[in-house]
Amino acid sequence: MTQREKWGTKLGVIMAVAGSAVGLGNFLRFPVQAAQHGGGAFMIPYFLAFILLGIPLMWIEWAIGRHGGLFGHGTAPFIFPRLAQNRFVKYLGVIGIFGPLVIFIYYIYIESWLLGYAFFALTGKLLSLATPESMTGFLLAYQGLAPGSNILTAYFFFLVTFVLNGLIIYRGIRGGIEKLCNIAMPLLFTFALIILLRVLSMGPGVLDGLGFLWNPDFSALVDAKVWLAAAGQVLFTLSVGIGVIMTYASYLSHGDDIVLSGLTAASTNESAEVVLGGSIVIPAAFAFLGVAGAQAAARSGAFNLGFVTMPVIFGHIPFGQIISFLWFALLFLAGITSSVSLMEPAVAFVRDEFRVERKIAAKRLLLLTFVLCQFPIMFLGQGVLDELDFWAGTFCLVVFATIEVFLFIWVFGMDKAWTEMHHGAELKIPRVYRFIMKYITPAFLLFVLVFWFIQQGWATILMQGVGEANRPYVLATRIGLIVLFAGIAYFVRKAWYNQKISGEIT
Amino acid sequence: MTLYGWLFMGVSWILIIGLTVFCFYRVLVEKEEDL
Repeated sequence: MTQREKWGTKLGVIMAVAGSAVGLGNFLRFPVQAAQHGGGAFMIPYFLAFILLGIPLMWIEWAIGRHGGLFGHGTAPFIFPRLAQNRFVKYLGVIGIFGPLVIFIYYIYIESWLLGYAFFALTGKLLSLATPESMTGFLLAYQGLAPGSNILTAYFFFLVTFVLNGLIIYRGIRGGIEKLCNIAMPLLFTFALIILLRVLSMGPGVLDGLGFLWNPDFSALVDAKVWLAAAGQVLFTLSVGIGVIMTYASYLSHGDDIVLSGLTAASTNESAEVVLGGSIVIPAAFAFLGVAGAQAAARSGAFNLGFVTMPVIFGHIPFGQIISFLWFALLFLAGITSSVSLMEPAVAFVRDEFRVERKIAAKRLLLLTFVLCQFPIMFLGQGVLDELDFWAGTFCLVVFATIEVFLFIWVFGMDKAWTEMHHGAELKIPRVYRFIMKYITPAFLLFVLVFWFIQQGWATILMQGVGEANRPYVLATRIGLIVLFAGIAYFVRKAWYNQKISGEIT
Repeated sequence: MTLYGWLFMGVSWILIIGLTVFCFYRVLVEKEEDL
């Protein structure tokens, strides 16, 4: 068996996992979710979800990954059978490669918009767009969605972003991802702090914004939607249930402290989200647009806030050109530390299970994903990107997290799981977490899954809200996803068969 | 910003920053093992 890669330092792996978790959602999705679901009262279900759902899932995924690494495996199709002693569970593990690969395909395109916008902020182009209408027009033209526009500029920045991602993935865990995150994460926090200080000095309207976000509306706590929104936000922000943390943890040694590392990565993500993310967008909108304007901007959605409202605001304040550049550079750093992690399960699968060198595995997968990236780019206006996000970024994530908990806690067994999590740990997990992991976390996940399905899942599956003209594209996307899933399952079966013949699997 | 607003923001910030500082302190004081 070839030597698997290892992390360079303990801090390096924490930065990499935190980098994977800190994304656009921390700075754009969280404040909108909180403001729309009870303000300060939203933090009650949010913290409960963090304690009962987020932290246990984080520890479980770290422990599963490190356990798999002991046997030279870094992905779910070959780790799950080590937990369940059942060869069919490897097909459930396919989700752990399929999900992040599909997210990578569309996420990298959005990430490239941030690079493009950072460039336009630096050149002063964004400063010349003084109104939300002109900024929206610019965004639509950039995306090739405005009449007479094209995507040449967007495609150029996509190529640059793809090459940057490719170089980091190609250079490997220690020389690529760890190095990037060790530089990008401190830089990201520095940029966020500078923007935060600038926003807080924007005037008395900032306090109205903080009030809009934090004044509690306790009546919201009786609404199941608020609890669902909080649980969903915690689940999505921590990057659990994707499969990336499992692969990252497989590069650890068995004696490494995953209890502390997992908690540190989770708390770093929460600092970026609640402290920094909660104090930039909404307060800036209130200070500049006033109460009515800011509420309207918040209702327009997280994406609109980031790409339209924020650059318009920064365009009207002193040092706005620099702040606007820092804003998009910050989001780009948050994006790239996430996107490089999304490719890692697929790279680890090819390298570990087919004994292919990392650089060859990376080259093949980059070529494949480059081709697949063309679909969300070319058919953005036809709803392809939204469809990919629904299946990979929402559905697979909740399903995969549920499978992980069930296999590790119920099938592998609570006692063995508890011992595995504590191996090498100086911090001890409170014993109440035995009960939480066994009953509360799976129940919470099922609650999220069922309510989300009732609320929006079923409607999306039935293509309600999809225009008649876009339906063939959405349907074709679904067929493409099935083919991709089946293709990965085929290669899992092939690798399994090869290893059985060579005697590595009995 | 009401008193409750300040309270929720303050408690949330203290909890999260406190946890982060505690974790990084433990990470940095724990002996760096070969990974």
